[in-house]
Amino acid sequence: MQVNRSSLSLDQAPPISVPFRFFLTAPVFGLLAALLLLIYGPEALSTRWAPATLALTHLITLGFLGLIMCGAMMQMLPVLAGSPVPSVEWVTAVVHLLLSIGVLALAAGFLLGANALLHLALAALGGGFLVFIAAVAIALKRIQAQNATINGMRLAVLALFITVMLGLTVGAGFSGMISLGLLIPLTDVHLGWGLLGWVGLLVISVAYQVVPMFQLTPEYPARLTRLLAWALFGALMIWAPLYLAWGSGGLPRLAPDVWMLAPAAAYGLFAGVTLWLQQNRRRRVSDITLLFWRTGMVAIAVCLLIWLWGLIPAEAYRPAWPLLLGVWLLFGMAVSVVNGMLYKIVPFLAWFHLQSRQVALMSMGKVKVPNMKELIPDRLAQRQLYAHLATLILLTLAVFWPGFLARIAGLSLGVSCILLLLNMLQATRRYRQVNQELSEFAASR
Amino acid sequence: MEHALDVSGLEPPEPMERILEALGTLEKGDYLRIMHRREPYLIYPMFENMGFAWHTRPGGPAGYEIFVWRQNDEAACAEIPPSRWSQPRKQK
Repeated sequence: MQVNRSSLSLDQAPPISVPFRFFLTAPVFGLLAALLLLIYGPEALSTRWAPATLALTHLITLGFLGLIMCGAMMQMLPVLAGSPVPSVEWVTAVVHLLLSIGVLALAAGFLLGANALLHLALAALGGGFLVFIAAVAIALKRIQAQNATINGMRLAVLALFITVMLGLTVGAGFSGMISLGLLIPLTDVHLGWGLLGWVGLLVISVAYQVVPMFQLTPEYPARLTRLLAWALFGALMIWAPLYLAWGSGGLPRLAPDVWMLAPAAAYGLFAGVTLWLQQNRRRRVSDITLLFWRTGMVAIAVCLLIWLWGLIPAEAYRPAWPLLLGVWLLFGMAVSVVNGMLYKIVPFLAWFHLQSRQVALMSMGKVKVPNMKELIPDRLAQRQLYAHLATLILLTLAVFWPGFLARIAGLSLGVSCILLLLNMLQATRRYRQVNQELSEFAASR
Repeated sequence: MEHALDVSGLEPPEPMERILEALGTLEKGDYLRIMHRREPYLIYPMFENMGFAWHTRPGGPAGYEIFVWRQNDEAACAEIPPSRWSQPRKQK
């Protein structure tokens, strides 16, 4: 009998401060994005190239989504695959600091048109992401077991690397550091890899685990999980040069657009299967994370419709089209899923760390560890879900009537981010309280 | 004696709660056989802290089987059946 006893380190899970630092900072960046929309109003929704729009987009993609996804990944690798990120506390400190400085400098650089700030942003973001990618790559390389989640995560991290490299190149061109042709098509390829590569692939690979685990659905079909991430990654690898060839005049626009049908259909399939699985879940109780996920999956379908609308040549040149697609990709799909996951990850981690300490202290019956619903009550999470849905609707309408609605949408986004922050703080405060009780118990023995 | 525990249909953190609860009832010579959908990496350090040994193998009706017994309880360890599933179960 081979016993696994000594093969594991006791520090399988990173300290709770590792993921929580990212989860508590992210809503603050969301709040800054909301402030920006409040201050700049219609200007932030006039064209995707407006400085306020660029700043707003990056506050959400890097500040909100990026931070949460980095924090969650460092937590998930040991939980799902038994492979901790090396030197996780050091990596966390560096990555969190550099990314935070980078996002602030980037947003300020766009708004003020200050190239020096943009250069600082490029250095900080490039450094932060490269440390993150290197650390996570080591953890991913050490995993012996092969499964769809691990393979999907590997491809997602590779997509992140490509996104960062493209972002640095575009940023260097934009800020006059290098002379760069094809700035606009390169920007589109950068956001294609960022949203359909890094964000989409991570959502898909995490879904394979968390949808059946937390929502008690049947498993995803094995053939889908085996092929989907590879197919999407391969499709992007071909789409990017096709798109750049169109940008340099070598191909008609139809070529990359027709090719994009492949990843678009693949995402549609993923969303359809996920909704079907959720419809067939074993325990049919309402759940906030489930509702966030459903919003995200419906948003993928909406994105497909918006994208098809943009294939009509006259429509694609209206400034509303890319803005609308951006709103639904970012706030509809990505923010919904990532925000929803926090309502499982954060209470679970707080519960788990308290429970572990209780087991180590043998304090069962002496100190009560709160359950997940006591850490973040459903009614508080639900309130934030409504604010998020209101934001999504208001942003959609504000694309068409920015003068009237942009600031109201900003206000709604601000409310949603404040509620999210308060909910995260509620779990943190409760964790600290009970942890203190456990410390007192340890001292009294 | 075997104590069987199927946690494959439970939402986290219920599997961990049930397992910790069940470990409290193990007598000398007993082992716990857990049927789980995935490998529960996070609980292993708790086993170690509580003085339990464990063996995990892919297979069984849920996907993974985890056998847990008190450290140095040779009788319980000897009772654990050999693997009936040499390959990981295919997903349906």
